[in-house]
Amino acid sequence: MPKTAASSSPIVEIRDLDFCYGPVQALHAVNLAIPARQVTALIGPSGCGKSTLLRCLNRMNDLIEGARVVRGSIRIHGIDIHAPEVDVIELRKHVGMVFQKSNPFPKSIYENIAYGLRLQGVRDRARLDAVVEQSLRGAALWDEVKDRLHQSALGLSGGQQQRLCIARTIAVEPEIILMDEPCSALDPVATAKIEELIQELRARYSIVIVTHNMQQAARCSDQTAFFYLGRLIEHAPTRDIFTNPANSQTEAYVSGRFG
Amino acid sequence: MNAHPTPFAPRSRQRRLREGLVIAIFRAATYAVLLAGGGVFADILIKGSRTVFQAEAPFINTTFLFSAPESLHVFEWEGRRREMGDREFRAFREREPGAADVRAESFVYSAGGIWPCIAGTLLLVAGAMTLALAVGVSSAVYLSEYARDGRFIRFVRLAILNLAGVPSIVFGLFGFGMFVIFFGWNVSLLAGWFTLAFMVLPVVITASEEALKAVPQGLRAAALALGATRWQTIRTAVLPYALPGILTSSILGIARVAGETAPIMFTAAYVVRDRLPWEVERAVDFLFQGVMALPYHIYVVSSKIPQNEYTERVQYGTAFVFLLLVALVAAASILLRNRLRSRLRW
Amino acid sequence: MPAPDSRPHLLARRRLRFLGLTPDDAIRAFFGGNAVVAVIVLALISYFLVREGAGFFGQNRRNLEVYRLAGLEFVDHLRAQEEGHTALTRRLSELRLQAFDRLSRGGADAEAAERALVGFDAYADRFGVAIDPLRALGSELGDVATAIKTKFVVNEDRKEERRQLSAEGRTAEAERVEVMPIDFAAAVKPLLAARDRHREVNRALAAELTSLLVAAPAPPVPELRESLERFGAEVRAYVSELPAIERRLETWDQSRPVSLGEALRAFLFGRQWLTASFWQDWYGLLPLLTGSLLVAGVALILAVPLGVGAAIYVNQFASTREQRVVKPAIEFISAFPSVVLGFFGIAVLGEFLRQVSHVPWLDWVPGFPFSERLNVLTAGCLLALIAVPTIFTLAEDALNNVPRALPEASLALGASRLQTTLRIVFPAALSGIISAVLLGLGRVIGETMVVLLCAGNRIAIPDFTQGLGVMVEPVHTMTGIIAQEMGEVVRGSIHYRALFMVGLVLFLLSLGINFLAQRILRRYRLAPA
Repeated sequence: MPKTAASSSPIVEIRDLDFCYGPVQALHAVNLAIPARQVTALIGPSGCGKSTLLRCLNRMNDLIEGARVVRGSIRIHGIDIHAPEVDVIELRKHVGMVFQKSNPFPKSIYENIAYGLRLQGVRDRARLDAVVEQSLRGAALWDEVKDRLHQSALGLSGGQQQRLCIARTIAVEPEIILMDEPCSALDPVATAKIEELIQELRARYSIVIVTHNMQQAARCSDQTAFFYLGRLIEHAPTRDIFTNPANSQTEAYVSGRFG
Repeated sequence: MNAHPTPFAPRSRQRRLREGLVIAIFRAATYAVLLAGGGVFADILIKGSRTVFQAEAPFINTTFLFSAPESLHVFEWEGRRREMGDREFRAFREREPGAADVRAESFVYSAGGIWPCIAGTLLLVAGAMTLALAVGVSSAVYLSEYARDGRFIRFVRLAILNLAGVPSIVFGLFGFGMFVIFFGWNVSLLAGWFTLAFMVLPVVITASEEALKAVPQGLRAAALALGATRWQTIRTAVLPYALPGILTSSILGIARVAGETAPIMFTAAYVVRDRLPWEVERAVDFLFQGVMALPYHIYVVSSKIPQNEYTERVQYGTAFVFLLLVALVAAASILLRNRLRSRLRW
Repeated sequence: MPAPDSRPHLLARRRLRFLGLTPDDAIRAFFGGNAVVAVIVLALISYFLVREGAGFFGQNRRNLEVYRLAGLEFVDHLRAQEEGHTALTRRLSELRLQAFDRLSRGGADAEAAERALVGFDAYADRFGVAIDPLRALGSELGDVATAIKTKFVVNEDRKEERRQLSAEGRTAEAERVEVMPIDFAAAVKPLLAARDRHREVNRALAAELTSLLVAAPAPPVPELRESLERFGAEVRAYVSELPAIERRLETWDQSRPVSLGEALRAFLFGRQWLTASFWQDWYGLLPLLTGSLLVAGVALILAVPLGVGAAIYVNQFASTREQRVVKPAIEFISAFPSVVLGFFGIAVLGEFLRQVSHVPWLDWVPGFPFSERLNVLTAGCLLALIAVPTIFTLAEDALNNVPRALPEASLALGASRLQTTLRIVFPAALSGIISAVLLGLGRVIGETMVVLLCAGNRIAIPDFTQGLGVMVEPVHTMTGIIAQEMGEVVRGSIHYRALFMVGLVLFLLSLGINFLAQRILRRYRLAPA
């Protein structure tokens, strides 16, 4: 692994971001720096804009009609991702995403993992095999599925499907992984496994995770950002947010008094 | 006896009876429809099977299915009533010297079979469906995957809805004016293909869009998030899963195409043609030839020749074959689609 | 593994371009192009219908002009007078039939009845022959007018021949083709000169009819007194109309031009569709339009209760198992080819209905018994079978789309299931059901084969004076006429263009119905719950 800059140096910088869905403004002047090789949790009550922000980072919001950045910028490695010379396809390869509801393709496990590489035109069987194994190991799924790689992914359990989606994401070697409430549809055991996996992944990837679950944010993130009504209220190391929040709204939320 | 009825006492008998009666009327309407449909179906099937099936092996009347139509000649000969097809009758008259001036009653199309019509119909349907599927599926892909709701797209949808309501005879006129006359294709397979394809286009588009919409959004999001382009997403994560639905629903369109007479009357159908469609000298001639077709043949034999015991056989036989073909296709489509609907819930 | 130093490469655009389009743009454009096909087809349909049909009005105008120039119009005024008289004669024979009926029912044998009617018959005969001088005059003038028209037609043919010859470069031959210019004004002189004779004939006719009225016989049976009196009044009205006809002949102006509007009116409101006639061709839409509407009306009267009733039953009351059988079965009916249904009508249903109509205790049904096996009713029954699946499917959808909260709220208030269905669910789905019925109507009006085979194909405005009995008359329809005559007409002829105009009307009608259906659906749709 190449040497990296100091862990505190930001990989994503969000400046003065205003974001609208048609006439409705979803984000107001958000300023946030997301550090590399750390887990950043976005928390807040429903509709506070945290998922919107997440989907801005790989421009999945482009797909929604009327959704647009009104003001401000998002820079990854200093490059404005909304600049015309940025290719959204390349961006998405670089910024992977795991969804709330696991969404494996109705294909075999192997083909699910190989999908991203095949898109890029990789045909080399040996290379595909290697990446599939590597990614499944990376997602801590290899031992469970290595004997049935060519069976349908829809036969896996919910937790396994979600880890498969993570494996599928890391197969294309992103630098950043976005997770949109990845455990909300899972039982506690599966959730624990995913959280464990997140801990392992942070060594290599910068992870941004949206979660409703305060304990989850506390357990597995390094940084936490609290959103309320489309505004970033507070951003600090997780320990500080949960033990010593600077803002009273944050305190009310993390202590469970609203939301 | 109770002075106050209990609050949960059943409603009065009379009211319940009345309700039951009304519901029974609705039910009767339902079964009246089924009975009418079943009656027509059964009549054609029973009377037609007498032509198509026979008592001896191979139990199917191969002459009827696999030979061309001929005239039927009925005459008295040596005290017996004889029925002969064209060729047989000619041979008979040459063989029997006394038969040269025998007076025979003739009924056109009532002997022989309907093979050219079957072949023509199959060709017409295959070509029209290929065209309609190609254009229709592409159109649906655009509408469901690319298009964003706007004035133009609403206009396109309106056009599709309206196209679905255009009478088939108007399609016939249009095909005649455009393909037969303006393009100079004459009465030909090609003109029939395009006319029929345009007619089923709305059916195919609607069916395809429904199938595309049934593919969960998550698959598209997953593909895009992995760095797929729009087209890659459609090709690898949408179309393969929508295709079964598209095909099964479009088969119903096939039934409709095959069942229509009016659009091919002036664009593709001949009353009678001696050669089979593939007996052509040059390959292009294949496209520019008219064909016989089952629905048109039914029209011809049921309106242009008298009704009697001799003509009834070919009338019912043709209707039987045609109805059975269309019904099988439709039934397959309906059953497949219902199965698919219950299975495709991911 | 992620490599931060490769970042400019990762985020840079590196796509192939062709004509400024990336492959993805090109693919998108391809699909977009296909999506527009529906619009293009619709536009092409309009274009080709108009292209082939528009010439009709010019040709029809010419057609009507010749009708006037050749004096056919003049003679038709006389003929109208003849027809008025014929109608009166027909009344008389109807009255005789009734009288004979009464007499035989009153116990008289045939001979006695005939004897009782002798006076009446003499009267009727005299009445009948009174028109003979006029008829003779009419036929004489008719010959004159026809001769003028024939001359004109022959001349037109020659002109055409000459044009073709010179187009082929055979100028000498073209010169030899004789074209005689026709002086229409001179040619109709005999017609105009006959007006005096006509006045005389009319005077005699009026005198004869009036004297007949005075000498009218006593009614052979007392019950007919009233009818005979009414007949007398009709005759008086007829006689008083005669001067008006004379005036019309007097003011008839051969040189009055025919406007395009007149040609249009003659099509849209023309009461006759008469082609390949030796006298005059008429291309009037009304007989076909009324035929189409009548058949569609009968079909809907049958199909709406059945289709909507079935939809309500299946959606609201049927068990799941019943639903699973009935819905595909009705959908299956929609796949029946219409030509097979038409054949069924010819082979079975027509005869069946005719026999039913002869069942004595069904005499009260209007129009029963009837003798034509192919008529509005036969076609209507089969069209109903075509319309039912459409109406059923769409109405069932509409019922299905009613938010569940509505019936639940009603049931929770203690309404029975039937009450809930009729008072809550049905009204909520009404707009959808109405639009389903409209689309069913569109289907039925556009249907060709069934009406072509089963509607009887008599081109005339059905006789609405007999009330509901009109349902068993044979009619012709817009779709049927196209299918029947298109194969036989000369390309580019007025008849050919008239058929395209009928197609255009049909097309616009279907668009209108569709538009209305969508409008209703959209305006009254419930907000999704």
